[in-house]
Amino acid sequence: MSLLSRLKRAGNEDGARVRIRRRKALAALLWKRLRFIRVTLLLVGLIWMLAIPLPMLSQGTYIDENALQPAQVNTYWDWADVHRADRYLDQVEEWVQHNISSIERADMLVTEFQKLGIPAATQLYAYTNGDKVVQGANVYAVFSSPRASGDEAMVISASWLSRAGEGDGTLNRRGVSTVLALAAFLKNYSLWAKDIIFVLSDGYMEGMHAWLSTYHGSVQSNLRADPLVLSSGVIWTALNIDYPGHSFSHIGLFLEGLNGRLPNQDLVNSCQIISRYTGGIPVLLYDQFHHSEFPNKDVLDLPFWLPEFVKRNKEFKEFSYRAKNVLRHVGYQGRGMASGVHGLFHQFRIDAITLYGEPAPGPHGFHAMGRVVESSLRTTNNLLERLHASFFFYIMTSPYTFLKIGKYLPSAVLISVSMLFGGISEWIGAGWRVKKAEGGNGKSNTATSEVKWARQPRPLLHALCIVLYTHAFGFVVFLALTGTPVLNPVIMLFLFTLCLTSPIPVLCSLTSFARRDELPAINRVLKSINLCIASTVISVTSVLNFSLAATTAVLLGIPLTLASSSPLLPVRTVMYLLYVFLAFGWMVWLPGEMQRALWSWEILGVWFAPFVCLVYAPLALQGGLACLLPM
Amino acid sequence: MNWKDSQLSFPLLVVCRLLLAVTPFIDSLDLDHNHQLSSPTNSFVRLQEGLFLFKHDIDPYSGGSFYHSPLYLSLFTTILPTSRFLSRLVWTLIDALGAWALVGIWRERQNLRSSSRDTLIAAAYLLNPYILLPNLALSTTSFENTLQLLSLLYACRGRASPALFLASILLHLSLHSVLLLPPLILLLLSSPHSHLSNPKYFTAYRNSKGSLSNTLSCIGEFLIYSVILTLCCTMVADSSGWIEKTWGVGLTLPDLTPNPGLWWYFFTEMFDHFRSFFLMVFSVHLVMYVAPICMKFQHDPLFASFALLGVLGMFKPYLTLADPGLFLSMHSIFPEIFPYLYHPLPTSLLHLHAALLLPLFHSLWLTQGTGNANFFYASTLVFGMANGAALVDAIWAGLRIAIGGKEAEDEGEIAVVQE
Amino acid sequence: MMRLFTCAPTTVCLYITFCLSILAVTFATDGVNSQEAARDFFTKRIGQENGSNHTNNWAVLVCSSRYWFNYRHMANALGMYRTVKRLGIPDSNIILMLADDVACNTRNKFPGTVFSNQGRHLDLYGENIEVDYRGYEVTVENFIRVLTGRMDASVPRSKRLLTDDRSNIFVYMTGHGGNEFLKFQDNEEISAFDIADAFEQMWQKKRYNEIFLMVDTCQANTMFSKIYSPNVLATGSSELGENSYSYENDADVGVAVIDTFTHYILEFMEEINKTSQLTMQDLFNTYSFEKIKSTPGVRSDLFSRPLDRTLITDFFGGVARAELVDENASVEDSSPTINVDEPSSASAEDVPSDHTFARSHSANNITHADLRHSAMAGKESSWPGLLKQFRAWGSVAVVGGVTGWIFMSR
Repeated sequence: MSLLSRLKRAGNEDGARVRIRRRKALAALLWKRLRFIRVTLLLVGLIWMLAIPLPMLSQGTYIDENALQPAQVNTYWDWADVHRADRYLDQVEEWVQHNISSIERADMLVTEFQKLGIPAATQLYAYTNGDKVVQGANVYAVFSSPRASGDEAMVISASWLSRAGEGDGTLNRRGVSTVLALAAFLKNYSLWAKDIIFVLSDGYMEGMHAWLSTYHGSVQSNLRADPLVLSSGVIWTALNIDYPGHSFSHIGLFLEGLNGRLPNQDLVNSCQIISRYTGGIPVLLYDQFHHSEFPNKDVLDLPFWLPEFVKRNKEFKEFSYRAKNVLRHVGYQGRGMASGVHGLFHQFRIDAITLYGEPAPGPHGFHAMGRVVESSLRTTNNLLERLHASFFFYIMTSPYTFLKIGKYLPSAVLISVSMLFGGISEWIGAGWRVKKAEGGNGKSNTATSEVKWARQPRPLLHALCIVLYTHAFGFVVFLALTGTPVLNPVIMLFLFTLCLTSPIPVLCSLTSFARRDELPAINRVLKSINLCIASTVISVTSVLNFSLAATTAVLLGIPLTLASSSPLLPVRTVMYLLYVFLAFGWMVWLPGEMQRALWSWEILGVWFAPFVCLVYAPLALQGGLACLLPM
Repeated sequence: MNWKDSQLSFPLLVVCRLLLAVTPFIDSLDLDHNHQLSSPTNSFVRLQEGLFLFKHDIDPYSGGSFYHSPLYLSLFTTILPTSRFLSRLVWTLIDALGAWALVGIWRERQNLRSSSRDTLIAAAYLLNPYILLPNLALSTTSFENTLQLLSLLYACRGRASPALFLASILLHLSLHSVLLLPPLILLLLSSPHSHLSNPKYFTAYRNSKGSLSNTLSCIGEFLIYSVILTLCCTMVADSSGWIEKTWGVGLTLPDLTPNPGLWWYFFTEMFDHFRSFFLMVFSVHLVMYVAPICMKFQHDPLFASFALLGVLGMFKPYLTLADPGLFLSMHSIFPEIFPYLYHPLPTSLLHLHAALLLPLFHSLWLTQGTGNANFFYASTLVFGMANGAALVDAIWAGLRIAIGGKEAEDEGEIAVVQE
Repeated sequence: MMRLFTCAPTTVCLYITFCLSILAVTFATDGVNSQEAARDFFTKRIGQENGSNHTNNWAVLVCSSRYWFNYRHMANALGMYRTVKRLGIPDSNIILMLADDVACNTRNKFPGTVFSNQGRHLDLYGENIEVDYRGYEVTVENFIRVLTGRMDASVPRSKRLLTDDRSNIFVYMTGHGGNEFLKFQDNEEISAFDIADAFEQMWQKKRYNEIFLMVDTCQANTMFSKIYSPNVLATGSSELGENSYSYENDADVGVAVIDTFTHYILEFMEEINKTSQLTMQDLFNTYSFEKIKSTPGVRSDLFSRPLDRTLITDFFGGVARAELVDENASVEDSSPTINVDEPSSASAEDVPSDHTFARSHSANNITHADLRHSAMAGKESSWPGLLKQFRAWGSVAVVGGVTGWIFMSR
C-alpha cells in the first residue's frame, strides 16, 4: 500500500472530516464577518483614543521605588540663601544690561563658582547647520561628593534661555541665579552620596545638547565642542530649573524628551509631592491650570461655539482639562520634541524633568524654589539603583493621575489589527475574480449565491516594486529637504508638484512591463501590502512612541482602509489628489512645523522628520496609488 | 546576455557582498556584540579571545569564555587570517560557497546543469538579511551553514565520503547538527529528486547503494571521521577539556547571554534544582523530531533535512538569526510546495513583526533602559512563533502536495471558500 | 578471609549485647534513685520561684535588610541590642547581625549615629557596640549556623552562639517579609520551616532551655507558625495579610527611623530594670491594634510555663546565677551533659571533616593550577611554543589530508 493511499484514507476518516468541515465553517464565518470585524476594531480603537482623557481610565500616581522617600526631610534653604540668590540675580541683570557676550558671561559664571570653591569650567561649542553657525559657551561645575566615591552624579541645570515661548528669547535669569545660590548652599552638606554637577547651558536646547553629547562622548559631525576638563560619574537624575518670571504661582512639570522618551514616573511623582508638601506650591502639568482653581476665568480655552450648559458641565470641564494635557503630551511626544531642556537627558538614560516656575505676580519666589530643589535632591540622593523599568510607559492626564500602558496602548493596536485584517482580506480578494457567466445568463450574475469565482494571479513583485519606489521617493524628498539651504515657498511648491507627479514613472512602467492579466489585481495587492506595512508600523511604533503611532493610526487608519479604485478616471484622480495632500500636504500648510522638525533632526537627531518622509508619506502615497491605478 | 544567467549574476552578487563587507559603515554598527547575530558559541569576539589565550599559552577551555571548537583554533592560528578586514572577506567567501552549494543542491534536485532559477536561489541565500547580518557580525554560524549545505550537496551527488566527512566536521562545530545525520544518510541511499507529490515507502526510491550494509558502512565512516577529528581536536587543545566546553555547552547551557532563541530566558528564570531536568527535557525534545520527520518524508530525505533545519532554527539552544535564515533561504529550492503553503501571508507578517520587534525591544532593554528582559523575551517568542509558523507551513505543504488539487481550484471549480 | 567476614557480624552483635547489658545494669542499680532526685531538684526550684531554670541568657538580633531606606530595621535591631544589654546580657552573649551599616552611609546626615526616634534623642550606635555579623555576612546560612552551632572550626567565639540546655535565648528578627518568609539582603529568604527546623535541631542538641522569638516584619506571625519544638514562645508584629508599619521618621535623617511594633516594645522595655517582676503577659497585654496598626500575635502553645509567671527578664535580662549543686545531683547533671555531647561531638566531627575535605580539595586545585602554571612558564621557552604551532598545523594537516584524500579519491 502506498503512502498516498494511506494519506487519502486518513483524509476520509470521519473525525478528520468533521474537523475540516468545522474549520472551514469557522473560516467562512470569519470571512463573511470580516468587514464587520474590521470596522468594529477600527471604531473601537478610535473611540478608545477619544476616551483616554476620561477620569475613569486614569489612576492616581504613587511612588513605586521605596528608596525615594520624597518630602520627608526638613529643608534648610532659608532667607539668607534667598538673599544670596538675589545678589546673583543683580549680577545677571547687570550682564544682561551691558549686553556682554556669552563667552564673557561664561567666564564670569566660572569665577562665581570658583569663589565658592567649586571647580568649574567653560565649554565652547559651535553647530554648523547648512551655512548657519550657532555658537555658545556652557558653564559647568562639579561638586564632588564629600563622602562617596563619585562614580554617580546628579545634575542641576538651567539654560540661559527659558522654555517660555520655546526658546524665543525669554531669559531664564532667576533660574541661573537659583543654580548659583544652590551651589553655594548645597556644598555645606556632607550627605551627598553622588556628585552634584551644576550646568548653566547657553542658548535653549543646543548648549545642553553640546554639553551632554560631549559628556557621553557621542559628538555628532556638525558639532564642534570643547572637551570637558572636569569629569564625574554616571549621571542618574537631572533637574532643570526654569524660572523666567519675577515670581511664580505654580510649578509646572515638563516631562517629554527627544524622540518621545519619558522620564521615569517616580521622579515626576516625587517632585510633584515635594512641591506640594515641602514647598507648599501647587503643581501643574505643563502650564495648564485646573479649572476649579479659577472658576471665573476660562483657563480651559473651550471653543466658543459650545453651548453654555456644556461649558458649565463639571464632568465635561474635567474631561477637557485632561484632554488638553493629553493633547499637549501627544504634540510633544508625537513630534519627538523635548518639552524643555531636560528632554535632552533621556537619550543617555538619565531621568530628568523641568521644574517650571509659572510666571505670576506671586506668591512664590527663590525661597520656595530653593526648598523644592533641595528636597528633590535629597530624594534623588537616596537612589541606590536605576528606577524601575516598568515606570517609563504612561500618559499623565493631570499632575496626580496617569494611565498605565495597558489602558492606552490597545487603542492603537486595535486600529493596527483592523488594518492587518484589511490587508489579509485584500490579499485573498486579489487572488479571485468573478467569473463571467458563460451563457450570458443574467440571472446567475445577479444572484450572489451562484457567483462563480476564478483565480487570478497576484502581481506581488510589481506591487512590491511600487512600494519600494514610493519609499525611495520619500527618501529623495527627505534628501531634498535636508539638502536645500533655504526652503522658500517657491521651492516648496516645486517639491510639492514633484510629489504630485510622482506616480508617473509607475504608470509608465506598468503599462510597458506588466502582463495584461496581472493588471486587474495590482491595486488590490498594492493596497494589501500597504495595509500590512502600515499596520506593522503602527503596532511596532506604539511601544516606542505611542503618540506617534496613535497619530499615524488616526491619520492613516480610515483613509488607507477606504482606498479603492473606481472605474471612473475623474473619481480616481480626485481621490488620488486627496491622498497626496494627506501625504505631502505639510509642505504647503505647515512650513514652520517642517522647518522645526528638520532643525530637530539636524541638531538634536529627532527621528520625526525622517519618519514622516520615509514612512508616513510613502504609506499615504501608496494609498493614493491604490486609488489611482485602474481596476 | 541575460541578467538571469547565473554565470554573470552569481559573481555579481558575490562582488556586491564583498563591497558591502568592506564598507567602513559596517564597522560603525558594532554588529559583533549584537546578541541576535552571534551567540556565545559562535561570536567572533569570543573566538578572538580564545585565539589570544591560545597564542599566549593559556588553555582557552579552562575559563568560561570560549566555546568554539578546537578546529577553529587550529584554522585561525594557521591558515585563516584573524584581522577584521580579512576576516570579513573570508566570511563573505564562505557565504558565497554556501550559496554555490545551495544552487548545486537545486540543480541536483532538478537534475539540471543550470536553470533560470539559479540567480534567484543564490540571491535568496546571499541577500537574506538573516544570513547577511550574522555574516557581517562575523558569527561562525556562517561556517556551519555552509558546511551544512556542502554536506547536503555531496549527499545529493551521492558522494558518501565527502558528505559524511563534512557532516563530521559540522558535528565538531555544532553538536546539534548530528540530528541531520539520519536524513543525510537516507539521502545518500536514495535520490535528491522531488518525490513529495508521490509519497511511497523508502524502498521505492532507494538507489543501487541502498542496502542495510551500506547504511552501516555510512555510519561507520561517519564515526571514523568523527574519531579522527576528535583526536585532532584533542591534539590542538592538548587535553580533552574542550569536549565539555564545546559539546557540553550545547547540553548544559552554562552561558545565559540573551539570544533570539527560546532557551536562555527559560533557564535564567529556572530554579536550580529543576535545571538539570529541564535541560534534559529541552535536549530530548529536539531529538524527538528526527524520527517522525524522517519517516514521514522517507520518500524525500532532502525535504526531511529541510524540515529538521527548520526545527533547529526554532529550538536550538544558542540560536542566532542565521539558523532560521538557512531554513528560510532553503525554501527557494522547494518551489513545488509554494502553492500549497497553508497561510503564507500571516507567516510572512509574523516574520515582519518579529524582525522589527527583535531589535526594537533589544534596544529598549539594553540601550534605552526603559524596558526589561521580558520585552526582549516577548519578541523572541514572536520570532519563535514566526519560525514555527513557517515550519508548520512548509511541512503542511510538503504533505498536502501529495493530494494535489490546487489545479482544480485554480480553474475555479471550487467556489468561494478559500483556505 | 571469608571466615573472618562471616564472623564479623556475630562479633558486633555480641559486643552490642554486652554494652547494653552493662548499661542496663547501671540503670537498674541507681536509676530510680537519681531520677527522683532530679525531679525533686527541678520541682523544688520551680516551685520556689515559679520561674525559669535557666542559667544563662543569650540574644540573637537580626536585621536582615540592606540599604539606606531600611534605616529603621537597623534601628529596630540596635534598639533591641541596647535594651538587652541594659538589662544585663553581656556583649559576649549577644549575636548582633546587621545587614548594612547605616551609621556610616554617606547619606547619613549625622555620621556614626543611628537614632530610633524623631528628634534624635538617643543615639543607639554611639557608645559601645559590637556587631558580630555585618553586611554580606548576614545570610540565611550564617544565621542558621549561628542557631544550630554548626560552625567552621575557625569561627571566633564572638560569632558563636555558645548555648547549652540551660540557656534562654531571645531571637529577634526584622526586615522585609511575607507569608512564611523573611528576606535577607534582597537576594535570599529564610522560610518559617527553616526556622522551625533550626529550633528543633537546637532542641535535639540541647542548645536551649527556652526560646523567645520576636519577629517584626510584614505578616510576621506566619514566621512562627511552623515551629514545633518545645519551650518556644513567639510573638510577631502582624498577622497573615497584614503589613507592619514604620512608626515615625526623622525629617533630618530623611527616612523612617523605627517600626511601630518595635517602638512600642522598646517603650515598654524602658520601664523595666534588672529586678523587674513584670511578666510576658504584661508585655502582651500592651499590644493593641490602635497603636501598632497591625495585629500582633503570640504563640505560647509550645511554651510550658504560664505567661503570667514568665518574667520578661527571663529572656531580656542576663542571669549570672551560680548554681550550687549537691553531689547527688551532680551525678544526674552529668548524665544529660554526656547526652548533649554525643550529637554535638558528632556534628563537630561532621563539620570539620567537611571542612578538611574542602581544604584539601582547594589544595588540590592549587597544586593543579600551580602545576599548570609551571607548565605554562615552561612553555615560554621556545620548543613548547613550537609544539603548540606544531599541534595546530598538525591538526590542520590531518584535516586537510583527510579532506584531500576524500575529495580526490573518486
